[in-house]
Amino acid sequence: MNFEESIDLSLEEKLSEEEWEAFQKELLKNPELLSCYVEQRWAHAQLTSDQEFLAQLAKQSEEKTSSSATESRKQGRISIFAGWAAAAAIAVFALVVFQAKPEVASHVATLIEAENCRWDGSDLPTAEGARLSPGTLALAEGMATIQFDSGATVTLEAPTTLEVDSAMRCRLLDGSVVADVPESAHGFTIDTEKLEVIDLGTKFGVTSSEVGGSHVFVFDGEVKVREGDAEEAQHVFGGKSLHFGSTPDEPDAEIDRSVSLLSPGPDWFAISTDDGGKDVYIRRGDRSGQTGDHPLLMVKHTDLTPGNERRALLGFDLRKLNHTQIAEAKLSLKIESSGLGFSSLVPDSEFAVYGVLDPAILNWQESSILWETMPEFTAEKIDAERFIRLASFRIPKGASHSKVEVQSGGLTDFLLSSGKEKITLMLVRETGELDKQGLVHAFASKEHPTSPAPTLWFLKHTDL
Amino acid sequence: MSDSSSSTPRNSESETDSAEAFLLLLNEHERQLSIYVHALVQSTEDAEDILQACRLTIWKKFETFEPGSNFLAWARKIALNQVLNHRRSRKRKPMHATDPEVLEAIAAEIDLQRDALDHRSKALRKCLQQLPDSQRQTILLRYYEDDDIAEIAAKTKRTEGAVYRLLSRIRTALNECISARLASQT
Repeated sequence: MNFEESIDLSLEEKLSEEEWEAFQKELLKNPELLSCYVEQRWAHAQLTSDQEFLAQLAKQSEEKTSSSATESRKQGRISIFAGWAAAAAIAVFALVVFQAKPEVASHVATLIEAENCRWDGSDLPTAEGARLSPGTLALAEGMATIQFDSGATVTLEAPTTLEVDSAMRCRLLDGSVVADVPESAHGFTIDTEKLEVIDLGTKFGVTSSEVGGSHVFVFDGEVKVREGDAEEAQHVFGGKSLHFGSTPDEPDAEIDRSVSLLSPGPDWFAISTDDGGKDVYIRRGDRSGQTGDHPLLMVKHTDLTPGNERRALLGFDLRKLNHTQIAEAKLSLKIESSGLGFSSLVPDSEFAVYGVLDPAILNWQESSILWETMPEFTAEKIDAERFIRLASFRIPKGASHSKVEVQSGGLTDFLLSSGKEKITLMLVRETGELDKQGLVHAFASKEHPTSPAPTLWFLKHTDL
Repeated sequence: MSDSSSSTPRNSESETDSAEAFLLLLNEHERQLSIYVHALVQSTEDAEDILQACRLTIWKKFETFEPGSNFLAWARKIALNQVLNHRRSRKRKPMHATDPEVLEAIAAEIDLQRDALDHRSKALRKCLQQLPDSQRQTILLRYYEDDDIAEIAAKTKRTEGAVYRLLSRIRTALNECISARLASQT
C-alpha cells in the first residue's frame, strides 16, 4: 500500500477497516510516516475547527465571485465558543460554575409541533418553533414533536419526560416516544433507565415507566437494544417488540381514594366500583389472563391485531340508591397511561358505554371472567337484545391523566329505571388504529393505588 | 457581579478572579486546543463533545493549575485523557476509531512538534488565501459547509473520484505552500 495516499484516504474516512488497521500498525513502526501523518492531520483539524477563519475566507470569496455557497451552510457547525470574549465572560462563568449544562446555549433540536400541550416543569422553551439546547421537557398533556438537528424526529406522548442531550441522543425518563429517523441520523440513540436503543434506520417507539418497565417497538427497519451495561446488544426488526422489566404489579402503595377530588358539587353523591362493585377488562385470546385485580382497565379496538381487542366491564351495586331522589347521573373515569402502544398511531378515539339488559349475564365474576367464557360480552356485533348503547365519549389524541365524564339521558334513564340493584356497564372503543402499535387506552380500576375508581355520580333533586 | 454588588462575600470574589483568569487563558488557547482535539479524533461531532467536556474538566481542575506555567500543555494533557477515556468508553468500536496506542503516539508527536505545528498553522492561513478561487471554493465546501465528497460531487457536478482527487491535489498544494513559507522563514 502506498502510505502517502493512505493519509489522504484516512482523512476522508475512505480506508476499509482492514486498511485502516494496517495503516495504524505502520504508523507505530514508521516515524517518518507518523510525522507526515500528524502534519496532514493537523492541517485537516485546523480546517475543521477554525470556522472563524473559514467564515472570513468565505466572505472574501463571496465578495470576489458573488457566489452564494455560504447561504446554504449547514447548522450546527458554527464554532459556539469562537467568541469567548470578555463581554460574555460573566454569563459563561455562571454557567460553568453552576454546571447547569456543559453545553452553553448550543441548540441541538427544534420543537416543531405542540398539539394541545400542557407542560410541567420543563427547563426548555415550550413554544412551537422554539430552538432547544440540551435540557428537559416534561409534557403533562398533549403531543409534541421535536426535530433534532441530525434530522431525527421524536414525538412525545403525554405524560412524558424527555431529556434532550444532543442532536443524536436523548433520554426518556418516563413516558412514551415515537422516533422517526432518516438516513442522515442513523445511530440516533434513546436511553431509558434500563436500555440504550440505537437506531439503525427506522421508525420505532419506546416507552418507559416506573411500574411498567420499558418497551421497544420497531415499526419499520431495525434498532439495536442494549440492556444496562450488557456488552451484547439485541437487534430488533420491523414489526417486532421487546419488553424489559416488570409489567405492572399488584400495587402495594397505600390506597388513597379521595372521592372529593372528583366530586362535581355538594349535591352529588358517588357510588364507585369500589363500593361493593366490580371492574375488569377482558382481552380477546385472554393472553393477559384474569385481570380482576389489575389497577388498569384497558380498552382497545383494532382490526389489525385481533388479539389485542379489549373491553372493560364495570359492575355497580346500586342498592344504596334511592332512585326517586335522583335527578341526574353521570359516569366518571380517570384516564391512565397503559404504557402500551402509541397515541400518535391512533386518532381521536370514540368510546361507547353500553348497559347490560340481560339479567342472565350480570353475575360475572371478577376473579374468573375471561373473553372465552363470556361470548355474550365479546361478540363483534353487540347484541341489541342484551345491551343498550347509553352514551359515547371522545378522548382526543394525546390526552392523559385527565378525567372523563359521561352524561346522557340514556345513561340516567338506564340507571334510574326501577328494580335495578346491580348493573353492569361495558366500555368499548369504537375507533380502530392506524398501526398495530396503536395506543391501548386505560382507565383506573378500583385496584389503582392512587386514582379514583370508576364512579357513578348522582345529583339529588334540589327540592327534596 | 457589577461594582454595585458590594455585598458579594470575599471567597466569591477570589472565585471571580480565578474564573476571569481561566476564561482569559481558555480564550487565548481555545483555538489551539480545538485543533489538538480534532487532530486526535476523526469524528467532528465526537471532537466537539469531547471539547465541551474538556472545558468543564479544565475549569474543575483549574485550581491545580500553576499560574505562569504552560496552560496549553496542561490543558492538552487533560484533553488527551478525555480523548482516551472517550475512546475506551465507547461500547462498540466506531468505524475508523484510532487505537489508544496510536492516539498516544500521535499525541507524543504533536508534543514534540508543537512549535513547528504552530508555525504550520499560521502558514496554512496564508496559503489558504493564496489558493486559486476554484480550489478555495472546494475547501470551503468541504470544511465550512461540512459537505462530504458525495455532496461536493453533486454540487459541483463532478464524479466522487474526481472530487477526491481534487481535494488530494489541494492538500498537496497547501502542504507545499506551507513548506515553502516555513523554509523562507528560516
